[in-house]
Amino acid sequence: MSSKKITFKLENKLSELKRLHQQLEAFAKEHQLPLKDIFEINLCLEEHFTNILSHGYADRETHWIDITLSVEQEKFIACIEDDGIPFNPTAVPAPDFKCPLEERKVGGLGVHLTRHYLDSMAYQRRGGINILMMTKKIDSQAEGV
Amino acid sequence: MQIKEEKQNAVHIFRLDGRLDSNTSPVFEEKVSDAIAKGAKQMVIDFEKLEYLSSAGLRVILKTTKDLKRLEGKLVLCSMADYVREVFEISGFDSFLPITATRDDALKKF
Repeated sequence: MSSKKITFKLENKLSELKRLHQQLEAFAKEHQLPLKDIFEINLCLEEHFTNILSHGYADRETHWIDITLSVEQEKFIACIEDDGIPFNPTAVPAPDFKCPLEERKVGGLGVHLTRHYLDSMAYQRRGGINILMMTKKIDSQAEGV
Repeated sequence: MQIKEEKQNAVHIFRLDGRLDSNTSPVFEEKVSDAIAKGAKQMVIDFEKLEYLSSAGLRVILKTTKDLKRLEGKLVLCSMADYVREVFEISGFDSFLPITATRDDALKKF
């Protein structure tokens, strides 16, 4: 029987994105998740992970970000926990798409994409830890890995 | 990620192979800046072999668009997988960037 859940830790450095991708691929293969869903989930996880790296830590110490991936009842769930400064991505305002090109910024786009691709995103701060729960319905008719 | 570059007349073409994420996009950004510094004003980015991109990739594309516009140049993107194109659409980038189905179509835009 395949495990419904995996947990791993990523260090607070960008090169860990490779490991994030590898872990997700292995998990997705085991659960035959559709390719498009894997792409979208990978993007959501990367956007949140890089936000933690950019805004979460004022020191130069090593920190570990805990990630749990699970599948239950056609739903993919990712839980990301970090000990950075409080950061609630669900409170980030939507980017302004109407402004001219010269004023367009990429800030906020990651969260915008994440909101689009996920079915829900829930944030809580508990015991000095940011906990973000991402949920996405899996399209069981789509092509798997 | 692998980045291949070639020139077709005055058009500088980048072919991206692999993943354009927060980890790899600085390398691409540097190559684009080099090309612009050497006089490239008309540019095509071919996404045929691109498997993945995140907002870090969009950031480089936006910067390139602005830089080329300032020089009265132009950027055209081509050959994207549907799910990659969707990222551009959700971000509203398709409103200011020409995206074509094939590389030949992209070259006709100049």
